[in-house]
Amino acid sequence: MRKRHLVATALFTLAFTSRVQAQGALSLEGLGYPTGQLSARAEGTGGGVGDFDALSLVAPAALAGVGSSALFFQYSPEFRKVTTSSGSASTTTARFPLVAGVLPMGQDWTLGLSSSTFLDRSLETSLQRVQVVGTPTDTVTLTERNKVLGAINDVRLALAWSTNPIFRIGVGAHVFSGSNRITFSQLFPDSARYTSTSQNGRISYAGFAASLGLEFHPSRAIGFSINGRKGGDLRAESGDTAIGSARIPDHYSASVTFEGIPGAVISARVAHDAWSSLTNLSSSGIQAFDGWDTGVGIEASGPRIIQRIITVRAGARFRTLPFGYPAPCAPPIPTGSSCTNPERVSETSFAAGLGVPLTRERASLDLSLQRASRSAADIKERGFILSIGLRVSP
Amino acid sequence: MKLSPMLPRFLAIAALFFSISSCSENLDSSGVCAVLCTQIGGDVQNVTLDAIVIDTTVQSLSGLGTEPGLLLANRPDTLDTRVVVRFDSLPEKFLPAGDTSQAIAQVDSAYLQLQIDTLSIKGNAPVTIEAYDVDTTANDTSTAAVLALFRPDRFISSQTFTRAQLTDTLKYFIANDVVLSKIQNKLPLRIGLRATGTGSSQMRIISTEGGVPPIMLFRATPDTATKPLTVTLFSKTPVGQAILAANLSDYTVIAKAPPQASPTILAVGGLPPRRVYFRFNIPSSIIDSSTVVRATLLLNQLPNSSLDPTDTVRVLPQVVLAGRVVTDPQKAAQIIAGISADTLTLRPGDAGLVNVELARAVALWHIQQPDTLPRAIVLKPVIEGISPLELRFSSSEDAVAALRPKLRISYTKQVPLGLP
Repeated sequence: MRKRHLVATALFTLAFTSRVQAQGALSLEGLGYPTGQLSARAEGTGGGVGDFDALSLVAPAALAGVGSSALFFQYSPEFRKVTTSSGSASTTTARFPLVAGVLPMGQDWTLGLSSSTFLDRSLETSLQRVQVVGTPTDTVTLTERNKVLGAINDVRLALAWSTNPIFRIGVGAHVFSGSNRITFSQLFPDSARYTSTSQNGRISYAGFAASLGLEFHPSRAIGFSINGRKGGDLRAESGDTAIGSARIPDHYSASVTFEGIPGAVISARVAHDAWSSLTNLSSSGIQAFDGWDTGVGIEASGPRIIQRIITVRAGARFRTLPFGYPAPCAPPIPTGSSCTNPERVSETSFAAGLGVPLTRERASLDLSLQRASRSAADIKERGFILSIGLRVSP
Repeated sequence: MKLSPMLPRFLAIAALFFSISSCSENLDSSGVCAVLCTQIGGDVQNVTLDAIVIDTTVQSLSGLGTEPGLLLANRPDTLDTRVVVRFDSLPEKFLPAGDTSQAIAQVDSAYLQLQIDTLSIKGNAPVTIEAYDVDTTANDTSTAAVLALFRPDRFISSQTFTRAQLTDTLKYFIANDVVLSKIQNKLPLRIGLRATGTGSSQMRIISTEGGVPPIMLFRATPDTATKPLTVTLFSKTPVGQAILAANLSDYTVIAKAPPQASPTILAVGGLPPRRVYFRFNIPSSIIDSSTVVRATLLLNQLPNSSLDPTDTVRVLPQVVLAGRVVTDPQKAAQIIAGISADTLTLRPGDAGLVNVELARAVALWHIQQPDTLPRAIVLKPVIEGISPLELRFSSSEDAVAALRPKLRISYTKQVPLGLP
């Protein structure tokens, strides 16, 4: 009996040492999920219009097209289901990924201050394992609960310039900050016999980056945008101790928009993120992959409801998420090793959205719903992201 | 001030926004942890230490009369305990039905109403309970002085009960003339109860501390329309010590008890009640730098077959709160606090390994310095003074090292909660 137990324990240990630091979902590997820094409007077009959208945080030149001063706030809960060969889990993650303020300064200049979630790391997992506590035959089922809350945020101060509708240019200064609050508990079933343990930790992040964007509209029907963000150092600290540093990923994007069809805007965007620069911010060797982010979408004037023209949007998006899934190596695995074979995690999204003007154009409500599918190895993940953005022009 | 017509719409939108945003999160991905989670904490380390610095048996000084039960026992050759109840304040007048207050001139149907813990009754033979007048001016806590009063010239009354008559509410009739005499002479009525009979008998009477104290009832007139008078327990002495006096309103007197264990053996329980005091020396590397998830005091129980070896005794460990200034284990063992509601049920006649769980005590020691909170515990019966049963354990003076008390500690190291 005892021998059988020891064999079972050994197999259990071997199985789990090959799954280093997986965090309960494909999209939550490593430092977390990149929300995309897009507004609800841009998300509704698969990100296609993102580089022309003043409220998204990816294109500083777009600020110049905002027209009037505006405040914007966005709420984006995600309803996620992860399916593996051994079970599934459904979660709800509440995110407030974007808040922005835009202020035109005279005829030519526009100032914008925005904050968006760069990498969201909100997760909770519970793992049960058998542990010997006391004599060798005295075993207990221990529950390890790991909860991480927090994110790395991107706060951008941007200035855009434009003297005519043909050309716009913008620059941005970015401060990356935020923290991950970690609570790790080991829970034992019998409180009279065992004492459960709990540990708290906090990792704070700080870094800088700069961005530049150009927008060119050679005609009313077509427009182009190119943008880039150059990352600086990103430091991670626990208390007063530096525990790691990396480079904020460089980001480049190019977009085109076509407005040749009356009442409709067709847009496409391609972006590249050098996520691999974050690989150093891992204590367990989680690998980050550079990735492309492509999207296409359409935005069109829709029906008139209560004397308001509703804007309808649709789009599709494909991207590679930054952090790979450490899939177990194919057997045979040397005893005692923790061999993993990192796999890229891809995400395909289909989106639809609405734009509703409110209060005589002084406010607007943008809604979008994305269906995102992610996969790696034999793990499937499906997420519905509902984004609600409220823009108010004071 | 005129409100903007846009305001209601703004408010409606804001309300919608915040109502949605107030939806609670559910981040728990446990359903896929078999594949997507990994062990974070390290394995539990188990170590057994000879960590006992002091282990000794001490008297429980909770005090005479503080027990929640009064043990009335007649176990030939092994156990003889008596019960004393004090009615130091007797009524001198009564109120007849439809009349005015009158002095008490007669006593009729006087009896003690006793609440019996029927589960505690031992012996099937009839038991005779004798009552004696134990009023004395001797020292209140002198057992010898009280026992000396259980003699023929102090005899009040007796009553014999069959086993079937020993119900949870027992009426024990006492001589009316004795009660009347005490009333008229303004003397305290202090009654000593003693069990006798042809066989062994033992029962526990619920005491004041147990919540249902004995009372005395009698009639001051044969007229049944007048309610009987009820007299509650009260002790006037010792004067100026109200708490002790209250405790002595009812208490157990031990006339004979089983022989106690030798000084080299650790003993818990018995009459008078005793406890075991343990002080440990645990490496600070374990207490301070690790997280103890389980701590077990390993004791070797020695059989004690002197009385009811198969009966059970519930014991529990309590942490000693006495700081470093209290150096006497006898005194330190009285300043304690509970750490666990989970009791250990043992039988005096059993032998072998006994595990006493101390994880909660170690958790307290982790956050307090030894000067403030010594690494010490007391092992005691859940309720002291109501049972003659005594548990015995090998001490650190045992000739066989393997039988001495030991402390087994299971602990984990802190996990670095850093980058993923």
